[in-house]
Amino acid sequence: MDAALSKNGCRMLRGLFGLVVVFLYAPIAILLLFSFNDSVLPSFPLSGFTLTWYRQFIHDPELIGALETSAIVAALSSVGAVVLGTLASIPLARRRFRGKGAVSALLLSPLVVPYVVLGISLLLLFHAVGVPRTIMTVVIGHIVISLPYTLLVLIPRLQQIDVGLEEAAYDLGANRLQTFRLIILPLILPALVSAFLISFTTSFDEYAVASFVVGSRATFPLYLYGALRFPSRLPEVLAVAVVVMTVSLVVVVGAELGRRIAERRLGALPS
Amino acid sequence: MAGRRRKRLDLTTPGLLGLPLAWLVAFFLVPIGIVGAYSIDVFSIYPAKHPVTFAGWDDFLHSAIYLKLFWKSVRMSLIVSVLVVLLAYPVAYYLALGGTKRKYVLLLILIAPFLTSYLLRVLAWKVILGSNGVVNSFLYWLGVRAHDDPVSQLLYSRFAVMLVLVYVWLPFVALPIFVSLETLDRRLLEAAADLYASRWQAFRRVTLPLSLPGVVAAFLFVFIPTVGEFVTPSLVGGTSGYMYGNQISDLFGTGFPDWRTGSVLALFLLGVVAVLTGVFSRFLGMRQAGAR
Repeated sequence: MDAALSKNGCRMLRGLFGLVVVFLYAPIAILLLFSFNDSVLPSFPLSGFTLTWYRQFIHDPELIGALETSAIVAALSSVGAVVLGTLASIPLARRRFRGKGAVSALLLSPLVVPYVVLGISLLLLFHAVGVPRTIMTVVIGHIVISLPYTLLVLIPRLQQIDVGLEEAAYDLGANRLQTFRLIILPLILPALVSAFLISFTTSFDEYAVASFVVGSRATFPLYLYGALRFPSRLPEVLAVAVVVMTVSLVVVVGAELGRRIAERRLGALPS
Repeated sequence: MAGRRRKRLDLTTPGLLGLPLAWLVAFFLVPIGIVGAYSIDVFSIYPAKHPVTFAGWDDFLHSAIYLKLFWKSVRMSLIVSVLVVLLAYPVAYYLALGGTKRKYVLLLILIAPFLTSYLLRVLAWKVILGSNGVVNSFLYWLGVRAHDDPVSQLLYSRFAVMLVLVYVWLPFVALPIFVSLETLDRRLLEAAADLYASRWQAFRRVTLPLSLPGVVAAFLFVFIPTVGEFVTPSLVGGTSGYMYGNQISDLFGTGFPDWRTGSVLALFLLGVVAVLTGVFSRFLGMRQAGAR
Protein backbone atom coordinates (compact mmCIF):
# COMPACT_ATOMS: atom_id res chain seq x y z
CA MET A 1 0.00 0.00 0.00
CA ASP A 2 1.14 3.50 -0.67
CA ALA A 3 1.57 5.51 2.50
CA ALA A 4 0.87 8.89 0.95
CA LEU A 5 -2.26 8.40 -1.11
CA SER A 6 -5.05 5.85 -1.54
CA LYS A 7 -6.17 4.81 -5.01
CA ASN A 8 -9.33 6.89 -4.79
CA GLY A 9 -7.46 9.84 -3.35
CA CYS A 10 -5.04 9.65 -6.22
CA ARG A 11 -7.87 9.60 -8.73
CA MET A 12 -9.50 12.63 -7.11
CA LEU A 13 -6.29 14.62 -7.06
CA ARG A 14 -5.59 13.72 -10.67
CA GLY A 15 -9.03 15.12 -11.50
CA LEU A 16 -8.24 18.30 -9.59
CA PHE A 17 -4.90 18.61 -11.40
CA GLY A 18 -6.78 18.34 -14.70
CA LEU A 19 -9.23 21.06 -13.65
CA VAL A 20 -6.41 23.37 -12.59
CA VAL A 21 -4.65 22.87 -15.92
CA VAL A 22 -7.90 23.67 -17.76
CA PHE A 23 -8.36 26.78 -15.60
CA LEU A 24 -4.81 27.88 -16.40
CA TYR A 25 -4.87 27.23 -20.14
CA ALA A 26 -8.46 28.00 -21.14
CA PRO A 27 -7.97 31.79 -21.04
CA ILE A 28 -4.83 31.43 -23.13
CA ALA A 29 -6.73 29.24 -25.59
CA ILE A 30 -9.42 31.93 -25.80
CA LEU A 31 -6.82 34.55 -26.70
CA LEU A 32 -5.61 32.22 -29.45
CA LEU A 33 -9.14 31.59 -30.74
CA PHE A 34 -10.17 35.24 -30.94
CA SER A 35 -6.90 36.35 -32.50
CA PHE A 36 -8.10 34.50 -35.64
CA ASN A 37 -11.70 35.68 -35.36
CA ASP A 38 -13.00 37.99 -38.05
CA SER A 39 -14.62 40.56 -35.75
CA VAL A 40 -13.48 43.54 -33.72
CA LEU A 41 -15.48 42.31 -30.73
CA PRO A 42 -14.24 39.16 -29.02
CA SER A 43 -17.64 37.53 -28.57
CA PHE A 44 -19.55 34.37 -29.49
CA PRO A 45 -20.64 33.18 -31.96
CA LEU A 46 -17.38 33.27 -33.92
CA SER A 47 -17.61 35.16 -37.19
CA GLY A 48 -14.98 33.46 -39.32
CA PHE A 49 -11.28 32.91 -39.78
CA THR A 50 -8.91 35.77 -40.59
CA LEU A 51 -5.26 36.69 -40.45
CA THR A 52 -6.03 40.44 -40.64
CA TRP A 53 -5.01 41.11 -37.06
CA TYR A 54 -1.63 39.47 -37.50
CA ARG A 55 -1.03 41.42 -40.71
CA GLN A 56 -2.11 44.61 -38.96
CA PHE A 57 0.28 44.21 -36.08
CA ILE A 58 3.28 43.43 -38.27
CA HIS A 59 2.65 46.75 -40.02
CA ASP A 60 2.08 48.80 -36.87
CA PRO A 61 5.28 50.84 -36.41
CA GLU A 62 4.36 51.93 -32.88
CA LEU A 63 3.92 48.35 -31.75
CA ILE A 64 7.07 47.08 -33.45
CA GLY A 65 8.96 50.02 -31.93
CA ALA A 66 7.72 49.11 -28.46
CA LEU A 67 8.81 45.50 -28.96
CA GLU A 68 12.26 46.72 -30.01
CA THR A 69 12.53 49.04 -27.02
CA SER A 70 11.62 46.20 -24.68
CA ALA A 71 14.14 43.89 -26.34
CA ILE A 72 16.90 46.47 -25.84
CA VAL A 73 15.91 47.14 -22.22
CA ALA A 74 15.65 43.42 -21.48
CA ALA A 75 19.02 42.63 -23.10
CA LEU A 76 20.88 45.41 -21.26
CA SER A 77 19.26 44.77 -17.90
CA SER A 78 19.76 41.02 -18.02
CA VAL A 79 23.44 41.36 -18.93
CA GLY A 80 23.79 43.78 -16.02
CA ALA A 81 21.93 41.53 -13.62
CA VAL A 82 23.86 38.42 -14.63
CA VAL A 83 27.22 40.17 -14.28
CA LEU A 84 26.35 41.57 -10.85
CA GLY A 85 24.74 38.26 -9.86
CA THR A 86 27.82 36.26 -10.84
CA LEU A 87 30.13 38.60 -8.90
CA ALA A 88 27.98 38.34 -5.79
CA SER A 89 27.15 34.65 -5.96
CA ILE A 90 30.77 33.46 -5.82
CA PRO A 91 31.51 34.74 -2.31
CA LEU A 92 27.97 33.99 -1.15
CA ALA A 93 28.16 30.38 -2.28
CA ARG A 94 31.81 29.52 -1.68
CA ARG A 95 33.30 31.67 1.04
CA ARG A 96 32.83 32.50 4.67
CA PHE A 97 32.99 36.12 5.74
CA ARG A 98 31.60 38.39 8.39
CA GLY A 99 28.21 39.90 7.70
CA LYS A 100 27.32 37.27 5.10
CA GLY A 101 23.77 36.99 6.41
CA ALA A 102 23.21 40.74 6.14
CA VAL A 103 24.77 40.91 2.67
CA SER A 104 22.62 38.11 1.27
CA ALA A 105 19.52 39.57 2.94
CA LEU A 106 20.18 42.93 1.25
CA LEU A 107 20.87 41.37 -2.14
CA LEU A 108 17.68 39.30 -2.01
CA SER A 109 15.45 41.95 -0.44
CA PRO A 110 14.09 43.45 -3.70
CA LEU A 111 12.20 40.13 -4.00
CA VAL A 112 9.92 41.06 -1.12
CA VAL A 113 9.36 44.73 -1.87
CA PRO A 114 6.11 45.56 -3.69
CA TYR A 115 6.92 46.89 -7.16
CA VAL A 116 4.87 50.03 -6.61
CA VAL A 117 7.28 50.99 -3.80
CA LEU A 118 10.35 50.21 -5.94
CA GLY A 119 8.88 52.23 -8.79
CA ILE A 120 8.06 55.38 -6.86
CA SER A 121 11.34 55.29 -4.92
CA LEU A 122 13.31 55.22 -8.18
CA LEU A 123 11.10 57.97 -9.57
CA LEU A 124 11.95 60.14 -6.56
CA LEU A 125 15.66 59.29 -6.83
CA PHE A 126 15.87 60.27 -10.49
CA HIS A 127 13.86 63.39 -9.76
CA ALA A 128 16.13 64.33 -6.82
CA VAL A 129 19.38 63.97 -8.77
CA GLY A 130 17.89 65.46 -11.92
CA VAL A 131 18.34 62.44 -14.19
CA PRO A 132 15.92 62.58 -17.13
CA ARG A 133 13.76 59.50 -17.53
CA THR A 134 14.84 57.38 -20.51
CA ILE A 135 15.11 53.70 -21.28
CA MET A 136 18.32 53.68 -19.21
CA THR A 137 16.35 54.48 -16.05
CA VAL A 138 14.14 51.48 -16.83
CA VAL A 139 17.26 49.34 -17.29
CA ILE A 140 18.55 50.46 -13.86
CA GLY A 141 15.26 49.51 -12.21
CA HIS A 142 15.09 46.16 -13.97
CA ILE A 143 18.60 45.25 -12.83
CA VAL A 144 17.46 45.80 -9.23
CA ILE A 145 14.48 43.49 -9.85
CA SER A 146 16.40 40.75 -11.70
CA LEU A 147 19.54 40.58 -9.55
CA PRO A 148 17.93 38.46 -6.79
CA TYR A 149 16.57 36.00 -9.36
CA THR A 150 20.05 35.49 -10.82
CA LEU A 151 21.35 34.78 -7.30
CA LEU A 152 18.61 32.20 -6.70
CA VAL A 153 19.73 30.38 -9.84
CA LEU A 154 23.51 30.76 -9.49
CA ILE A 155 24.11 30.17 -5.77
CA PRO A 156 22.65 26.61 -5.63
CA ARG A 157 24.57 25.71 -8.79
CA LEU A 158 27.87 27.00 -7.37
CA GLN A 159 27.25 25.11 -4.14
CA GLN A 160 26.93 21.88 -6.11
CA ILE A 161 30.39 22.21 -7.61
CA ASP A 162 33.03 20.17 -5.80
CA VAL A 163 35.45 22.46 -3.94
CA GLY A 164 38.15 19.88 -4.74
CA LEU A 165 38.09 20.93 -8.40
CA GLU A 166 38.98 24.47 -7.45
CA GLU A 167 41.67 23.34 -5.01
CA ALA A 168 43.17 21.08 -7.67
CA ALA A 169 43.37 24.05 -10.04
CA TYR A 170 45.16 26.14 -7.40
CA ASP A 171 47.54 23.25 -6.68
CA LEU A 172 48.38 23.12 -10.37
CA GLY A 173 49.36 26.78 -10.27
CA ALA A 174 46.24 28.46 -11.59
CA ASN A 175 45.41 31.82 -10.09
CA ARG A 176 41.90 32.84 -9.05
CA LEU A 177 40.97 34.34 -12.40
CA GLN A 178 42.22 31.32 -14.34
CA THR A 179 40.41 28.99 -11.98
CA PHE A 180 37.22 30.93 -12.54
CA ARG A 181 37.59 31.07 -16.30
CA LEU A 182 38.71 27.49 -16.87
CA ILE A 183 36.91 25.57 -14.11
CA ILE A 184 33.96 27.46 -12.64
CA LEU A 185 32.68 29.30 -15.69
CA PRO A 186 32.15 26.23 -17.92
CA LEU A 187 30.40 24.44 -15.06
CA ILE A 188 27.99 27.27 -14.33
CA LEU A 189 27.38 28.18 -17.97
CA PRO A 190 23.95 26.49 -18.16
CA ALA A 191 22.93 28.27 -14.96
CA LEU A 192 24.19 31.57 -16.38
CA VAL A 193 22.07 31.07 -19.47
CA SER A 194 18.97 30.37 -17.43
CA ALA A 195 19.67 33.34 -15.15
CA PHE A 196 19.94 35.49 -18.28
CA LEU A 197 16.67 34.17 -19.69
CA ILE A 198 14.80 34.63 -16.42
CA SER A 199 16.06 38.22 -16.21
CA PHE A 200 15.22 38.82 -19.85
CA THR A 201 11.65 37.57 -19.60
CA THR A 202 11.13 39.40 -16.29
CA SER A 203 12.25 42.67 -17.82
CA PHE A 204 10.39 42.16 -21.08
CA ASP A 205 7.15 41.71 -19.16
CA GLU A 206 7.67 44.29 -16.40
CA TYR A 207 5.09 47.04 -16.24
CA ALA A 208 4.84 48.34 -12.67
CA VAL A 209 8.34 49.75 -12.13
CA ALA A 210 8.75 50.78 -15.76
CA SER A 211 5.54 52.80 -15.64
CA PHE A 212 7.12 55.17 -13.10
CA VAL A 213 10.58 55.58 -14.59
CA VAL A 214 10.01 55.31 -18.33
CA GLY A 215 10.63 58.27 -20.60
CA SER A 216 8.92 59.00 -23.90
CA ARG A 217 9.87 55.66 -25.50
CA ALA A 218 7.27 53.13 -24.37
CA THR A 219 8.28 49.56 -23.61
CA PHE A 220 6.03 46.75 -24.83
CA PRO A 221 4.05 46.33 -21.57
CA LEU A 222 3.44 50.09 -21.46
CA TYR A 223 2.28 50.03 -25.06
CA LEU A 224 -0.04 47.12 -24.28
CA TYR A 225 -1.49 48.85 -21.24
CA GLY A 226 -2.20 51.92 -23.36
CA ALA A 227 -3.70 49.88 -26.19
CA LEU A 228 -6.06 48.06 -23.81
CA ARG A 229 -8.00 51.27 -23.33
CA PHE A 230 -9.06 51.34 -26.99
CA PRO A 231 -11.46 48.48 -27.79
CA SER A 232 -10.84 48.84 -31.53
CA ARG A 233 -7.21 47.84 -31.04
CA LEU A 234 -8.07 44.74 -29.04
CA PRO A 235 -7.91 42.15 -31.87
CA GLU A 236 -4.47 43.37 -32.90
CA VAL A 237 -3.33 43.11 -29.29
CA LEU A 238 -4.67 39.55 -29.16
CA ALA A 239 -2.56 38.66 -32.17
CA VAL A 240 0.56 40.10 -30.55
CA ALA A 241 -0.36 38.33 -27.34
CA VAL A 242 -0.40 34.98 -29.08
CA VAL A 243 2.96 35.58 -30.74
CA VAL A 244 4.66 36.88 -27.58
CA MET A 245 3.28 34.10 -25.39
CA THR A 246 4.28 31.40 -27.84
CA VAL A 247 7.80 32.74 -28.18
CA SER A 248 8.29 33.17 -24.43
CA LEU A 249 6.88 29.70 -23.68
CA VAL A 250 9.13 28.07 -26.25
CA VAL A 251 12.21 29.97 -25.05
CA VAL A 252 11.64 29.37 -21.35
CA VAL A 253 10.61 25.72 -21.56
CA GLY A 254 13.38 25.02 -24.08
CA ALA A 255 15.94 26.72 -21.85
CA GLU A 256 14.86 24.78 -18.78
CA LEU A 257 15.06 21.45 -20.63
CA GLY A 258 18.38 22.47 -22.17
CA ARG A 259 19.80 23.37 -18.76
CA ARG A 260 18.77 19.99 -17.33
CA ILE A 261 20.41 18.12 -20.20
CA ALA A 262 23.57 20.25 -20.12
CA GLU A 263 23.98 19.87 -16.37
CA ARG A 264 23.50 16.12 -16.62
CA ARG A 265 26.22 16.01 -19.32
CA LEU A 266 28.57 18.15 -17.24
CA GLY A 267 27.81 15.61 -14.52
CA ALA A 268 30.61 14.30 -12.33
CA LEU A 269 29.40 16.61 -9.60
CA PRO A 270 28.03 15.67 -6.24
CA SER A 271 24.43 16.83 -6.24
CA MET B 1 56.93 36.80 -9.21
CA ALA B 2 55.93 40.41 -9.00
CA GLY B 3 54.61 40.54 -12.54
CA ARG B 4 52.05 37.86 -11.94
CA ARG B 5 50.86 39.43 -8.75
CA ARG B 6 49.84 42.54 -10.65
CA LYS B 7 46.11 42.70 -10.17
CA ARG B 8 44.02 42.78 -13.29
CA LEU B 9 40.79 41.87 -11.59
CA ASP B 10 40.06 42.04 -7.90
CA LEU B 11 38.74 38.61 -6.92
CA THR B 12 38.77 39.05 -3.16
CA THR B 13 35.45 38.87 -1.36
CA PRO B 14 35.06 42.66 -0.99
CA GLY B 15 36.17 43.11 -4.58
CA LEU B 16 33.47 40.77 -5.84
CA LEU B 17 30.71 42.05 -3.60
CA GLY B 18 31.52 45.75 -4.04
CA LEU B 19 29.70 46.40 -7.29
CA PRO B 20 26.48 44.46 -6.59
CA LEU B 21 26.21 45.99 -3.12
CA ALA B 22 26.92 49.48 -4.44
CA TRP B 23 24.19 48.99 -7.05
CA LEU B 24 21.60 48.06 -4.46
CA VAL B 25 22.64 50.84 -2.11
CA ALA B 26 22.41 53.42 -4.89
CA PHE B 27 19.25 52.19 -6.58
CA PHE B 28 17.36 50.50 -3.76
CA LEU B 29 18.33 51.75 -0.29
CA VAL B 30 19.02 55.41 -1.14
CA PRO B 31 15.75 55.72 -3.10
CA ILE B 32 13.83 54.36 -0.12
CA GLY B 33 15.64 56.92 2.03
CA ILE B 34 14.47 59.63 -0.36
CA VAL B 35 10.90 58.36 -0.03
CA GLY B 36 11.38 58.78 3.72
CA ALA B 37 12.67 62.32 3.16
CA TYR B 38 9.59 63.20 1.10
CA SER B 39 7.29 61.71 3.72
CA ILE B 40 8.52 64.23 6.33
CA ASP B 41 8.92 67.17 3.95
CA VAL B 42 12.73 67.24 3.97
CA PHE B 43 12.23 67.07 0.21
CA SER B 44 9.13 68.49 -1.37
CA ILE B 45 7.74 69.08 -4.84
CA TYR B 46 6.74 72.59 -3.87
CA PRO B 47 9.56 75.11 -4.32
CA ALA B 48 9.22 76.72 -0.87
CA LYS B 49 11.37 74.93 1.73
CA HIS B 50 9.33 73.35 4.45
CA PRO B 51 10.54 72.65 7.94
CA VAL B 52 10.60 68.96 8.85
CA THR B 53 7.06 67.92 9.65
CA PHE B 54 5.31 64.71 10.47
CA ALA B 55 1.99 66.11 9.28
CA GLY B 56 1.89 63.59 6.44
CA TRP B 57 2.17 60.68 8.86
CA ASP B 58 -0.29 62.30 11.24
CA ASP B 59 -2.85 62.77 8.48
CA PHE B 60 -2.36 59.20 7.33
CA LEU B 61 -2.73 57.59 10.74
CA HIS B 62 -5.89 59.59 11.43
CA SER B 63 -7.39 59.24 8.00
CA ALA B 64 -10.36 56.96 7.60
CA ILE B 65 -9.91 56.66 3.83
CA TYR B 66 -6.33 55.45 3.51
CA LEU B 67 -6.42 53.00 6.39
CA LYS B 68 -9.76 51.63 5.26
CA LEU B 69 -8.35 51.16 1.79
CA PHE B 70 -5.31 49.47 3.27
CA TRP B 71 -7.43 46.96 5.20
CA LYS B 72 -9.57 46.34 2.15
CA SER B 73 -6.41 45.48 0.19
CA VAL B 74 -5.15 43.26 3.00
CA ARG B 75 -8.49 41.43 3.07
CA MET B 76 -8.55 40.93 -0.70
CA SER B 77 -4.95 39.85 -0.76
CA LEU B 78 -5.45 37.45 2.17
CA ILE B 79 -8.41 35.79 0.45
CA VAL B 80 -6.39 35.46 -2.75
CA SER B 81 -3.32 34.01 -1.01
CA VAL B 82 -5.35 31.51 1.02
CA LEU B 83 -7.33 30.39 -2.01
CA VAL B 84 -4.20 30.00 -4.09
CA VAL B 85 -2.46 27.93 -1.42
CA LEU B 86 -5.56 25.76 -0.87
CA LEU B 87 -5.76 25.06 -4.60
CA ALA B 88 -2.04 24.56 -5.14
CA TYR B 89 -1.42 22.29 -2.16
CA PRO B 90 -3.40 19.24 -3.31
CA VAL B 91 -2.06 19.64 -6.84
CA ALA B 92 1.54 19.82 -5.62
CA TYR B 93 0.79 16.89 -3.28
CA TYR B 94 -0.43 14.82 -6.20
CA LEU B 95 2.68 15.62 -8.25
CA ALA B 96 5.15 15.04 -5.41
CA LEU B 97 3.64 12.01 -3.69
CA GLY B 98 1.10 10.56 -6.13
CA GLY B 99 3.69 8.26 -7.70
CA THR B 100 3.14 9.89 -11.09
CA LYS B 101 5.65 9.24 -13.81
CA ARG B 102 6.94 12.37 -15.51
CA LYS B 103 6.12 14.55 -12.54
CA TYR B 104 8.63 17.18 -13.65
CA VAL B 105 6.94 17.47 -17.03
CA LEU B 106 3.57 17.92 -15.31
CA LEU B 107 5.12 20.49 -12.97
CA LEU B 108 6.48 22.40 -15.96
CA ILE B 109 3.00 22.36 -17.55
CA LEU B 110 1.66 23.84 -14.33
CA ILE B 111 4.31 26.54 -14.04
CA ALA B 112 4.67 27.47 -17.71
CA PRO B 113 1.81 30.03 -17.75
CA PHE B 114 3.61 31.99 -15.05
CA LEU B 115 6.52 32.44 -17.40
CA THR B 116 4.41 34.15 -20.04
CA SER B 117 3.33 37.76 -19.94
CA TYR B 118 1.48 38.93 -16.87
CA LEU B 119 -0.38 41.71 -18.67
CA LEU B 120 -1.47 39.35 -21.41
CA ARG B 121 -2.93 36.91 -18.91
CA VAL B 122 -4.87 39.77 -17.34
CA LEU B 123 -5.97 40.78 -20.83
CA ALA B 124 -7.36 37.26 -21.38
CA TRP B 125 -9.74 37.76 -18.46
CA LYS B 126 -10.80 41.14 -19.79
CA VAL B 127 -11.84 39.34 -22.96
CA ILE B 128 -13.63 36.64 -20.99
CA LEU B 129 -15.45 38.80 -18.45
CA GLY B 130 -16.30 41.96 -20.42
CA SER B 131 -19.92 42.92 -21.13
CA ASN B 132 -19.40 41.83 -24.74
CA GLY B 133 -16.97 39.18 -23.62
CA VAL B 134 -16.90 35.44 -23.85
CA VAL B 135 -19.08 34.66 -20.82
CA ASN B 136 -21.76 37.23 -21.60
CA SER B 137 -21.92 36.55 -25.32
CA PHE B 138 -22.21 32.87 -24.52
CA LEU B 139 -25.14 33.67 -22.23
CA TYR B 140 -26.82 35.76 -24.96
CA TRP B 141 -26.28 32.93 -27.40
CA LEU B 142 -27.89 30.44 -25.05
CA GLY B 143 -30.71 32.93 -24.54
CA VAL B 144 -30.16 32.99 -20.77
CA ARG B 145 -29.60 36.75 -20.82
CA ALA B 146 -30.99 39.39 -23.17
CA HIS B 147 -28.50 41.33 -25.31
CA ASP B 148 -29.01 44.58 -23.42
CA ASP B 149 -28.72 42.89 -20.04
CA PRO B 150 -25.15 41.59 -19.54
CA VAL B 151 -23.94 40.26 -16.20
CA SER B 152 -22.13 43.52 -15.56
CA GLN B 153 -20.48 42.79 -12.23
CA LEU B 154 -18.19 40.22 -13.89
CA LEU B 155 -15.64 42.81 -14.98
CA TYR B 156 -14.62 45.94 -13.06
CA SER B 157 -15.34 44.49 -9.65
CA ARG B 158 -13.57 43.21 -6.57
CA PHE B 159 -14.49 39.71 -7.74
CA ALA B 160 -12.69 40.23 -11.05
CA VAL B 161 -9.54 41.46 -9.31
CA MET B 162 -9.42 38.49 -6.96
CA LEU B 163 -10.21 35.97 -9.71
CA VAL B 164 -7.44 37.35 -11.91
CA LEU B 165 -4.94 37.45 -9.05
CA VAL B 166 -5.70 33.81 -8.18
CA TYR B 167 -5.25 32.93 -11.84
CA VAL B 168 -1.99 34.81 -12.15
CA TRP B 169 -0.33 33.48 -8.98
CA LEU B 170 -1.55 29.88 -8.88
CA PRO B 171 1.22 28.39 -11.07
CA PHE B 172 3.95 30.15 -9.12
CA VAL B 173 2.80 28.91 -5.73
CA ALA B 174 2.76 25.26 -6.70
CA LEU B 175 6.57 25.33 -6.88
CA PRO B 176 7.62 25.97 -3.23
CA ILE B 177 4.93 23.58 -1.98
CA PHE B 178 6.06 20.93 -4.43
CA VAL B 179 9.67 21.32 -3.33
CA SER B 180 8.81 20.99 0.36
CA LEU B 181 6.76 17.82 -0.30
CA GLU B 182 9.28 16.37 -2.72
CA THR B 183 12.13 16.60 -0.20
CA LEU B 184 10.03 14.96 2.48
CA ASP B 185 11.55 11.69 3.75
CA ARG B 186 9.10 8.96 2.61
CA ARG B 187 10.31 6.62 5.34
CA LEU B 188 8.54 8.84 7.87
CA LEU B 189 5.23 8.05 6.18
CA GLU B 190 6.03 4.35 6.09
CA ALA B 191 6.94 4.49 9.77
CA ALA B 192 3.64 6.23 10.51
CA ALA B 193 1.78 3.49 8.60
CA ASP B 194 3.70 0.78 10.48
CA LEU B 195 2.60 2.39 13.71
CA TYR B 196 -1.04 2.08 12.59
CA ALA B 197 -1.56 5.71 11.69
CA SER B 198 -4.25 6.14 9.07
CA ARG B 199 -3.30 8.05 5.95
CA TRP B 200 -5.20 11.05 7.26
CA GLN B 201 -3.39 10.90 10.60
CA ALA B 202 -0.04 10.54 8.84
CA PHE B 203 -0.89 13.53 6.69
CA ARG B 204 -1.99 15.66 9.62
CA ARG B 205 0.83 14.73 12.00
CA VAL B 206 3.76 14.20 9.59
CA THR B 207 3.31 15.55 6.06
CA LEU B 208 1.49 18.76 6.83
CA PRO B 209 3.83 20.02 9.58
CA LEU B 210 6.90 19.15 7.51
CA SER B 211 5.59 20.92 4.43
CA LEU B 212 4.55 23.99 6.40
CA PRO B 213 7.67 26.02 5.55
CA GLY B 214 6.86 25.60 1.87
CA VAL B 215 3.26 26.59 2.50
CA VAL B 216 4.27 29.70 4.45
CA ALA B 217 6.79 30.65 1.76
CA ALA B 218 4.14 30.18 -0.91
CA PHE B 219 1.67 32.27 1.05
CA LEU B 220 4.18 35.11 1.43
CA PHE B 221 5.17 34.95 -2.24
CA VAL B 222 1.55 35.72 -3.12
CA PHE B 223 0.58 38.01 -0.29
CA ILE B 224 3.49 40.45 -0.60
CA PRO B 225 3.11 41.32 -4.27
CA THR B 226 -0.69 41.26 -4.24
CA VAL B 227 -1.17 43.54 -1.23
CA GLY B 228 0.67 46.32 -3.11
CA GLU B 229 -0.84 45.40 -6.47
CA PHE B 230 -2.05 48.19 -8.73
CA VAL B 231 -1.80 46.88 -12.28
CA THR B 232 -4.51 44.21 -12.14
CA PRO B 233 -7.02 46.36 -10.23
CA SER B 234 -6.50 49.25 -12.63
CA LEU B 235 -7.26 46.94 -15.56
CA VAL B 236 -10.16 44.86 -14.23
CA GLY B 237 -11.09 46.43 -10.89
CA GLY B 238 -13.09 49.54 -11.73
CA THR B 239 -13.94 51.60 -8.65
CA SER B 240 -14.96 48.74 -6.36
CA GLY B 241 -11.73 46.87 -7.05
CA TYR B 242 -9.53 49.92 -6.35
CA MET B 243 -6.66 48.92 -4.05
CA TYR B 244 -4.06 50.57 -1.81
CA GLY B 245 -1.42 50.23 -4.53
CA ASN B 246 -3.64 52.19 -6.93
CA GLN B 247 -3.84 54.97 -4.38
CA ILE B 248 -0.04 55.13 -4.12
CA SER B 249 0.33 55.04 -7.87
CA ASP B 250 -2.29 57.79 -8.33
CA LEU B 251 -0.64 60.05 -5.75
CA PHE B 252 2.47 59.98 -7.95
CA GLY B 253 0.48 60.26 -11.17
CA THR B 254 -0.18 63.27 -13.29
CA GLY B 255 -3.69 64.00 -11.98
CA PHE B 256 -3.35 65.39 -8.47
CA PRO B 257 0.16 64.48 -7.37
CA ASP B 258 0.81 64.50 -3.63
CA TRP B 259 4.26 63.05 -3.14
CA ARG B 260 4.27 63.53 0.63
CA THR B 261 1.12 61.49 1.21
CA GLY B 262 2.20 59.00 -1.45
CA SER B 263 5.56 58.53 0.27
CA VAL B 264 3.86 57.98 3.62
CA LEU B 265 1.57 55.35 2.11
CA ALA B 266 4.47 53.61 0.35
CA LEU B 267 6.64 53.51 3.48
CA PHE B 268 3.76 52.18 5.56
CA LEU B 269 3.26 49.36 3.05
CA LEU B 270 7.00 48.67 3.01
CA GLY B 271 7.05 48.55 6.82
CA VAL B 272 4.18 46.08 6.99
CA VAL B 273 5.81 43.86 4.38
CA ALA B 274 9.19 44.05 6.13
CA VAL B 275 7.66 43.04 9.48
CA LEU B 276 5.78 40.15 7.88
CA THR B 277 8.91 38.92 6.09
CA GLY B 278 10.97 39.22 9.26
CA VAL B 279 8.46 37.36 11.42
CA PHE B 280 7.87 34.62 8.90
CA SER B 281 11.47 34.14 7.86
CA ARG B 282 12.37 33.53 11.50
CA PHE B 283 9.47 31.12 11.66
CA LEU B 284 10.63 29.43 8.46
CA GLY B 285 14.19 29.19 9.74
CA MET B 286 13.04 27.67 13.04
CA ARG B 287 10.84 25.18 11.26
CA GLN B 288 13.62 24.05 8.99
CA ALA B 289 16.05 23.72 11.86
CA GLY B 290 13.47 21.75 13.83
CA ALA B 291 12.84 19.35 10.98
CA ARG B 292 16.45 18.30 10.74
